Amino acid sequence: MAEQISRRAALGSALAAAGALAAPAIAQTRERVARVWGEPGPYVGVFTNGLNEWAQRYAPGLRFEAEQIAWDQVYVKLTTDLAARRPPALISVESPIAYQLAAEGLLEPVEDVNRAIRAAERLVDGFRIDDFGTWKGTQYAVPLHHQGCLFIAQSDVLEEAGLSDPANWTWQDLLNAARAIQQKRPGMAGFTMALGRNLCGDYHIGQFIWQAGGLTWDPARNFETVFNSPATIEAYEFIKELYAYMPRSAVEFSFLQVVDQHVTGRTAMSLYWGRTMGRAADEARPIYEKMEYYLNPAHPRTGARWSWTDINGWVLPRRDNPFLREAKEALAHVMNSTEWMARYSASLFPNVGPVFKDQAAAPALQQHPIYQAKKRSVDVIFTGFVPHACNSGFELRKGISPLAGIAHGRNVWSQVAQRMLLNNESARAAVEWGHRQFEDIRRENRRLLG
Amino acid sequence: MRFRLSDRQVGVLFMLPLLLAVALFLVWPIVEAVRLSFVRYNPLRPDDQPFVGLDNYLFVLEDPLFWESFRQALVWTGVSTVAQAAIGVGLALLLHQPLRGINAFRGLLLFPYIVPTVVIALNWRWLFNAEIGIVNHLLLSAGIISERVAWLSTPDMAMASAILLNVWKYTPFVVIVVLARLQTIPTELYDAARVDGAGALRRFRDITLPQLAEVLAVVVVFRTIWTFNKFEEIYLLTRGGPGTSTYNLALYAFDQAMANLRMGVGAASGVIMLALLLAGSLLYIRLTGFGREDRAA
Amino acid sequence: MSRLAAALVYAVLGAVTFVVCFPLLWAISTSLKPKEEIFRWPPTLIPERVTLESYRELLFGGAVASAPGAGVPPSAFFVDWFVNSVIVSVGSTAISITVATLAAYSLTRFRFRGQRAVPYVAILGYMIPSVIFVFPMFLTMVALDLPDTLLSLILGYVCITLPFCLWLMWAFFRGVPIEIEEAALVDGATRLQVFRQIVLPMALPGIIAASIFSLIVSWNDYLFGRVFMNSMDKLPLTVGVMHFFDGTHVDWGLMMASSVLMTVPMAVLFGFMQRHLVAGFGAGAVKG
Repeated sequence: MAEQISRRAALGSALAAAGALAAPAIAQTRERVARVWGEPGPYVGVFTNGLNEWAQRYAPGLRFEAEQIAWDQVYVKLTTDLAARRPPALISVESPIAYQLAAEGLLEPVEDVNRAIRAAERLVDGFRIDDFGTWKGTQYAVPLHHQGCLFIAQSDVLEEAGLSDPANWTWQDLLNAARAIQQKRPGMAGFTMALGRNLCGDYHIGQFIWQAGGLTWDPARNFETVFNSPATIEAYEFIKELYAYMPRSAVEFSFLQVVDQHVTGRTAMSLYWGRTMGRAADEARPIYEKMEYYLNPAHPRTGARWSWTDINGWVLPRRDNPFLREAKEALAHVMNSTEWMARYSASLFPNVGPVFKDQAAAPALQQHPIYQAKKRSVDVIFTGFVPHACNSGFELRKGISPLAGIAHGRNVWSQVAQRMLLNNESARAAVEWGHRQFEDIRRENRRLLG
Repeated sequence: MRFRLSDRQVGVLFMLPLLLAVALFLVWPIVEAVRLSFVRYNPLRPDDQPFVGLDNYLFVLEDPLFWESFRQALVWTGVSTVAQAAIGVGLALLLHQPLRGINAFRGLLLFPYIVPTVVIALNWRWLFNAEIGIVNHLLLSAGIISERVAWLSTPDMAMASAILLNVWKYTPFVVIVVLARLQTIPTELYDAARVDGAGALRRFRDITLPQLAEVLAVVVVFRTIWTFNKFEEIYLLTRGGPGTSTYNLALYAFDQAMANLRMGVGAASGVIMLALLLAGSLLYIRLTGFGREDRAA
Repeated sequence: MSRLAAALVYAVLGAVTFVVCFPLLWAISTSLKPKEEIFRWPPTLIPERVTLESYRELLFGGAVASAPGAGVPPSAFFVDWFVNSVIVSVGSTAISITVATLAAYSLTRFRFRGQRAVPYVAILGYMIPSVIFVFPMFLTMVALDLPDTLLSLILGYVCITLPFCLWLMWAFFRGVPIEIEEAALVDGATRLQVFRQIVLPMALPGIIAASIFSLIVSWNDYLFGRVFMNSMDKLPLTVGVMHFFDGTHVDWGLMMASSVLMTVPMAVLFGFMQRHLVAGFGAGAVKG
């Protein structure tokens, strides 16, 4: 602190005048503040309250402070703060970015924390600790939550159109249903997904690619770029067919717009994570009452129902992080407490799925009004989808890839869709364009694969 | 007894803060930007910054997206500037009329200029939301359109919406400047023309327009340079989308540096923008004879 | 002007004013609606039931202590953000104006080598967009150990406001007659006395105009705030209010109420000072 002030004083008269104005800002930093990055939403705030419970008991003068980073702002904050050599103490980000950071060698190994919280024993069925971010045999992530992207439908609209139970649907059934609804209910979209140049678009599109059997890089073959396969092209062609029954503006949709669309009753079916149900419960009871979650419609040939799943863990920047020891101990404190973990999950029900068995069985979750009212759907959201969980950094569960985060930064998957839908390129040509982008990314970041 | 400075010392002393500030806030960032444009700099690993010569510039010049952004920036700038100038002059002429209550209109019409870009971009995204926006609702119920307009979802409409926002926000700039100039045109000129039997249109063409010509040229150059480099309006309204149809060079530079983790490439595109801007300012200086002491005063 | 022509002018101005002001009217209307009315379809133009709930939450929400089971809602920080924006806008304006006024006076009253280059530098700086400055400036702040402090933002905004303040003050001082000063100097006043007692009062309109534009530019900035700041309680308003988008949900009531609260201070200032802005200044008076 003293050093900081003397350096400021040396900056000359103009800066000194400004320094006086900034005095409140200097005063604010007197206690030690460990910054905690998380997604927008209340849950990171809840977790931070738990961290502070530890700090008050065992590290007086230390305070954890939550900073909410919108999903697509992660890179701006990450890059500026790493460039500044002042990273946050703890980060919860989308898993592909965590995988990338792990491979960059920027993260602290966390085997000790995972041992201290008996993560391996407590983890819900279907997930392994390694899925959250293990690179070359070292664990870099402490399991925090999971969120799978699923298929949501309004049962009343489906009934009215005389449609069958979506639990058994294939792609073809989805397409037929979207068409039938559009005809039956003018002004309502049959189906909605995000096709904007953003993360949500990437995620939604990825699911279709995997269901058809395609993938971007093959971990089994040293991450060779295999994007331009017939399966990928088939997936994009199917999306183009579906687009006829989506709102035209789906090409600019991101997370928010998809949920808005569903919660305001402008679509009968959509793809989304648990949040759509939570928002409907808050804002649109009639929609909420008829809302059901299902596994994604299966590809007719492969039968796959992959779901883009954020397998989200806490990661700790290794360098320039003066809070490593405290952050680890505080993490263990919160995560050893079933009560805190249940509070975490319950704070935005059913958006952040419980990762521990004791947490999943906690009364705060079991007796949550949404769980009581929508048991079947919430079971799909919390456990049913787990066998189908993968993500762009863990494609088809074949292995962790550090390249996906970079590709999400450039939104390559959704750009391919946009070239096809907006520029009228053929699916094949658009996919070939995407293939070149992915190949560039691989070449540029070969050192990560090493 | 107070320490007395000589006249000369006062002059130098008064300049010192400026010299310090210019060095720190203008020269240094530009030097730093130029340096960055010659290194490979992945912001995730700030310690590793190898010199790569002109690689970043070659990367930018070979990138189709750069040229696409460049072309789009021309459309965005050209249409915005012309629309702002035309509407701005029209409004200024109306606001110059000696009518009762005209001051209230002046205040209200200048208001968009002070609205923070964040506020207006977010409001527009909601107003112009194709599905739940009030604009489509009003136009539909007034029978002006028969189906929802996808304001931000097709490349052309998104560009049009972005331009509309820019025109909305910055036309007041033109109005302020033109209005200030109009107030200095001697009324005798108009009286004489009226005596000669010149109609309103002729008076505008023969008196107003020539008097405005110089200030208009200045305004157009200024608006062109600023609009060409605008970042926040587009970033907050469309994020360059759909596709990359509303990218301009500022967005390109930002995305290269941040999303693509190529700080050096971002800096190189910044330096290219800077060079274009220098050319623009030279044009401005030529147009106005700016800085030629004998002409001013 | 005939009455018909006048009526036509009023009609056109009225229509244009309505279109121009519609976004603000809609923002005010939405900010006064209760939450359940905001998403109603078809939307109501005028709130059926007026409530100040959104404003209350923004202005007094910080007083509500958060329960252990709930995170702190972003709206609790609104007052902090507002204060921060005031501090950084006023701070950077004070620096820019002080530096610019001193230098402009010196430039127009003394002779130096290289003097003529200064206005060129000013106009060039005036045209450079902040997207070029922002990363180098951020790295500079890092070197000074200042990121995530209000001081870094103050200095960042000096970067974008100083050139046009300088240019404006320079243009202004060129138009101020030198004779009174010379008379005072002959009467034995010192240069500093002349500056304080004669020059500054005469320069006041220029200082006011430059200050307002400088305040508007720093109040409205988004990019510097986005890149420089992290802590929730240190954000400026423009960056802070983006937190009302939580990715899957926008509280439009809060968003619109904060839009109104963000716009009002500048609108009031602008309203008071409009006279100074329109009269007397050419293109140099505005930045955008």
